[in-house]
Amino acid sequence: MEKVITPVARPKTAEPWKQISFTNMVLLVLASVVPLGVALIAMLAGLQFELALLLVFLPVQLVVGALVGRRVSGKRGMSDAILQVLVIFFAASVFVLLVSVVWSVIQSGLSAMSWQFFSQNNVYISQSTSLEYGGVGHAIIGTLLLVTLSTIVTVPLGIATAVYLTETRGKTRSVVRTLIQALSGLPSVVAGLFIYAMFIASGITQYVGWAGSLSLIPLMLPTVARVAEESLLLVPQELRNGALALGAPAWRAFWLVTMPAAKSGLITAVLLGIARIIGETAPLVVTTFAANGTNLNPFNGAIATLPTYLYGFINSNFDTAVQRAWGAALVILILVAILFIAARVMTRSKKAKKKAGK
Amino acid sequence: MSENETKPVAERRVLRAKPFSRSDRIFFKTATAAANSSIVLVTLILVFLAWRSWPAFQSQGIGYIFGSTWDNNPEKMIMQIGPMLWGSIQLSIIGVLLAVPMSISIAYFIVFMANKKIGSGVTILVDLLAALPSVVLGLWGLIVFSPVAAGWAKLLHDTLGFLPFFANEDGNFLRSPFIAGWVVAVMIVPIIASVTREIFSQLDRELINASLALGAGRWSTFRRVILPTASGGIVGGVLLGLGRALGETVAIYFVLNLVFEVNWFNILQAKGGSVASMIMSKFGEAGPAEVAGLMAAGVVLFVVTLLVNSLASYIVVKAQPWRK
Repeated sequence: MEKVITPVARPKTAEPWKQISFTNMVLLVLASVVPLGVALIAMLAGLQFELALLLVFLPVQLVVGALVGRRVSGKRGMSDAILQVLVIFFAASVFVLLVSVVWSVIQSGLSAMSWQFFSQNNVYISQSTSLEYGGVGHAIIGTLLLVTLSTIVTVPLGIATAVYLTETRGKTRSVVRTLIQALSGLPSVVAGLFIYAMFIASGITQYVGWAGSLSLIPLMLPTVARVAEESLLLVPQELRNGALALGAPAWRAFWLVTMPAAKSGLITAVLLGIARIIGETAPLVVTTFAANGTNLNPFNGAIATLPTYLYGFINSNFDTAVQRAWGAALVILILVAILFIAARVMTRSKKAKKKAGK
Repeated sequence: MSENETKPVAERRVLRAKPFSRSDRIFFKTATAAANSSIVLVTLILVFLAWRSWPAFQSQGIGYIFGSTWDNNPEKMIMQIGPMLWGSIQLSIIGVLLAVPMSISIAYFIVFMANKKIGSGVTILVDLLAALPSVVLGLWGLIVFSPVAAGWAKLLHDTLGFLPFFANEDGNFLRSPFIAGWVVAVMIVPIIASVTREIFSQLDRELINASLALGAGRWSTFRRVILPTASGGIVGGVLLGLGRALGETVAIYFVLNLVFEVNWFNILQAKGGSVASMIMSKFGEAGPAEVAGLMAAGVVLFVVTLLVNSLASYIVVKAQPWRK
């Protein structure tokens, strides 16, 4: 007879370090409530929010936390509590800043949203035209065109760079890796100036869409190359060796084994690269000329993009213009969010597959 | 019999890893060419910018870096970027000072305090912050953040105004390096945080557990074990953030008043500088000679950020010996 073993839940007492005595529980609750209360009272007494936060809440929280820490786990508890309070305070401030950015973009951007904001362009629109007319349709098209163009050039280049870094034993690998990392900090305006110096100042072309696309390449390349490298590194060496041992030439081993295994990572690399450049402004301001009309040809004439559209409306005294700017910001944010979620889904599905395989 | 025996020793076989088929050679050559294109790219950027900016360097001499006048009068053009250069450095210092505690805290929180779910959620948030385009942050900085931060600046001035840092003569707290420094901090927090998180999460767990088992608390583990082991990576991350801060263009352009007069440390005064933003603001209506001057600023900026970033990536790589 086969003996059936039914899994038994681990008894709670097996994790004694997770148990907190009742007094300590009360103390912990007190430690998180008291400072808030004191700060609230101080604010009701007429203290400014920032002052109440910094001069009342934080010190009181530190002192109370330290006292409770001392009571709960002795002398060391004091410094631990102080560390935790500070860490959470700083982390929370980052969170507040981020939420403030996203929230203000969504809130102010929604007021500009309407169907024609997506479908119309900027012809006959001045800074004070009411929001019922005009929109970012031309800029969305322009952004998509330019970004597509940059992507077409950058993705093979970036992935080939990653291949060089992971699949070969080339001599310049460390140099390339350092330069790629250094390029990721390339000031965007310098990238624009470079293309300007190369093509526009030398009279090869006027302000034109493809120059903008070119200026985005040095900004996108490091992201694509780095993320692609990471994902290729994750492919187990045994897979490659197996393919090579079976007699596959290196390129087929890469094409049929390594690349499919790293597919989701490579797609993530592309998506993150696009997210990196989709909101770039400075290089486009230097190399393209923002048109008001819709231009479907990035190889000829002025072309508008979302960032340059936003840039054009931002510093205005008219509320409508500023609202247009917020609207464009929201559109950029939505595009970035879509790319981001897609990248997340890609990496997520890979992990899920791995788990299922085990 | 044995003296006659000469064993035919095969020539020692050399194992070669060189690709022998033509298609493989093409494959590897393509990869090598693509990878070396980044070297070519950096060289090209330097060459073209230096070439176009040569007239400016020639006519302005060393004063280009240290002087503090910008006069685009075509007959007697004076272009000197001293205040902008100092402004960039000043903003980066403010930004890094503000960003370092926040980013180390958030990395510590993700790796050592939060459980897995919350940790990965916060990681996504930090990555999202990294993906916010700088023009969006500029808009936010100009319209939402500046008034709030001006309030903070006024508070600082009212309470600590006796310190020379927080002096303010005209009661105008907008468009000051203080505010721009905050915006820069928001931009570089995700960079420093993600590098630090990477380093933290790859630290030897046994080291930390050993420390905890010996009775050290969170604080002493952090101070005596985590920080010393991770310091290299943190420094590298900070330098990467510094490089980004030096090159930040659009956001600063909106929230900072660019003035060609060196403002050494009055960070609440509406008087600051930034090389990148200066290029952006002057580019629109610049004539050819002035464009050469702006190109020269681009060269300076590029060289500085390239040095900072190369140093940073070198340190980050050195700090992760487990990655080859």
